Amino acid sequence: MANQSRRDFLKTSALLGAGITGLTSKPVKAAPKNILDENRMGVLVDTTVCIGCRKCEWACKTAHNLPTQPLESYDDRSVFINMRRPDDKSLTVVNEYPAQESNSFPVNVKVQCMHCDKPACVSACIVGAFSKEENGSVIWDGDKCIGCRYCMVACPFQVPAFEFEKALQPEIRKCDFCFERTKIGKLPACVEICPMEVLTYGRREDLVELAHHKISLYPEKYYNHVFGEYEVGGTSWLYLASRDFSELQFPKLGNSPAPGVSEAIQHGIFAYFIPPIALYALLGGVMWLNKNRKSGEEEQL
Amino acid sequence: MKIKILYWFLIPLSIFGQTKIDKNHSSQNIKCSTCHSCEIPTKENPCIKPCPRESMIRIDQKAEDAPRILTIDRIKETDIYAPVKFSHLAHAEMSDLAGGCRTCHHYNPPGNVIGCSECHATQRQRTDINKPDLKGAYHQQCMNCHRAWSGNTDCISCHEIKGKEKVIASVTSDGKKRIHPEIKTPDKIKFDTNIKHGKQVTFYHAEHNELFGLECSDCHSNESCVKCHAVEKVKSPKKLSSKEKHKKCSSCHNTESNCSSCHSNFEKGGFNHAVVTGFDLTKYHGKLNCSRCHTTKSQFKGLKNECKNCHGEWTWENFNHKITGLVLDDTHGEFECENCHKEATYTKPECSDCHEDKSYPKDLPGKKVK
Repeated sequence: MANQSRRDFLKTSALLGAGITGLTSKPVKAAPKNILDENRMGVLVDTTVCIGCRKCEWACKTAHNLPTQPLESYDDRSVFINMRRPDDKSLTVVNEYPAQESNSFPVNVKVQCMHCDKPACVSACIVGAFSKEENGSVIWDGDKCIGCRYCMVACPFQVPAFEFEKALQPEIRKCDFCFERTKIGKLPACVEICPMEVLTYGRREDLVELAHHKISLYPEKYYNHVFGEYEVGGTSWLYLASRDFSELQFPKLGNSPAPGVSEAIQHGIFAYFIPPIALYALLGGVMWLNKNRKSGEEEQL
Repeated sequence: MKIKILYWFLIPLSIFGQTKIDKNHSSQNIKCSTCHSCEIPTKENPCIKPCPRESMIRIDQKAEDAPRILTIDRIKETDIYAPVKFSHLAHAEMSDLAGGCRTCHHYNPPGNVIGCSECHATQRQRTDINKPDLKGAYHQQCMNCHRAWSGNTDCISCHEIKGKEKVIASVTSDGKKRIHPEIKTPDKIKFDTNIKHGKQVTFYHAEHNELFGLECSDCHSNESCVKCHAVEKVKSPKKLSSKEKHKKCSSCHNTESNCSSCHSNFEKGGFNHAVVTGFDLTKYHGKLNCSRCHTTKSQFKGLKNECKNCHGEWTWENFNHKITGLVLDDTHGEFECENCHKEATYTKPECSDCHEDKSYPKDLPGKKVK
């Protein structure tokens, strides 16, 4: 150190300074849309607590300006006779699965968009109308949508619905995780109204931790699986249940992201402009052959 | 990472900030690790474990010490329903049969039993997601039982619509009469068992209550709500082990041996003190409460069939023989009791020690009176 020249000292300190600033520099606040934010939000649905009051259905419709019956009409439990799916008029629905034993409760399951971490709809949309947002929600831009309905085919949960009966400007409709509400610091409408707090809104990471903690505390109450933790690469909405999820009509899905297969094929084929080049080459070849044939015919004449 | 640290810091703060904890709670008989995650908690860093915890502290109080009616009006978000009037006493009385205060008050720091809002936040939007908010906590607690016995999840069974309030049958705010209807107990219940010698057990329920002064909760301490409120929903009796079947009786009866005291091939009679213990009560003790002699509650064993258990030593001076219906003559009046009465129960006297030709009851040592 004593032998160090002034020049060397300045050099090293400049390097060190650069290094430190490099290390401490904060990550860019707004994460790019294809990288998942570690603080993205989610909802843990504890179906063992749900009583099937369907207040969430009413709140959802009200929040999205969809026509709805008065709140009292939701007490009618006869709707549970049929299994329902979310559609363009109700973005979330609650279904009921009968109790297994006389002394246990029926299981009520709320169904809506799962807001996948690797959403197939985003991948499938050819005009880029769908996007996975920083806060975890998967939303879409109605202005960009051309109504191709590829998203409906791609979704592993068959959630996006299309306004078929609208002749003019039909739109794709699905749960948007109340993006307009959460943007201004409000809770999603269903989370806010749920009297039982079946729905817990929080950081997805924390929710996964909480879900496993609940299972470990009450192993006799919960089926040992958090649906959505790994399914199709993870979803923002997570489920706890008292029974095997396949008995509750949850689709059996692998842990690899849904867009994986389709994207691999598409990106493989379209990589380096190979298909267009090949197509033009083929067309060029046909033209060249035809041209040769024509000139041959002309010579013969 | 920073945020995570902040969470861990906020969670204990939020709990500590909300609950009033007895200052001397460290000297009470509770393991520190039940609530604290570190070995030496300080005021600055109490390191309180977030809820739900593996184990909770639970304290019981008498139902009468708790509020009679609670008006639940802390949740302001709801604008549809009027505040709920919760008949706390009626529920507390019922909970005596189902695990006491802890049936609902699952966490109580040392001191008095604390209310739900001490820990559960009134706002749904909050940082600590480990425990439900107040609205969720109430509903989860209420519906767990209500749903089980009534099968009804209608809001209006507890809530009144704002502006249309009327008195719900079970809630009377005047606080005068007992809220829960009187529970009628059966006189006797017959159990059929698969024991070869003694298939039938006749259980005299009313007699157990009246004769032995038992409260419902002395035997029924861990029942579920459906046991009374939805009899048809009670589990079909599982195959219980012999020990489980005898559990309720064995707190007073010896069920290991002496099966025939309860089991027999025919319907047994009710309790008879003379037959079972050899001490006849009908003559002098018929009007006494059991507790006059059996002073420890629910403990009927251990007393010998001796008068001195209660009466002390009798001598000719302190015992008025007249009450037996016989006034001793002067000759016999100043003998020690044991001279004639050889048994500890002072039954039949022996005359043969002094008189060769006399015997009781043919000859009497005095005059009979009424």
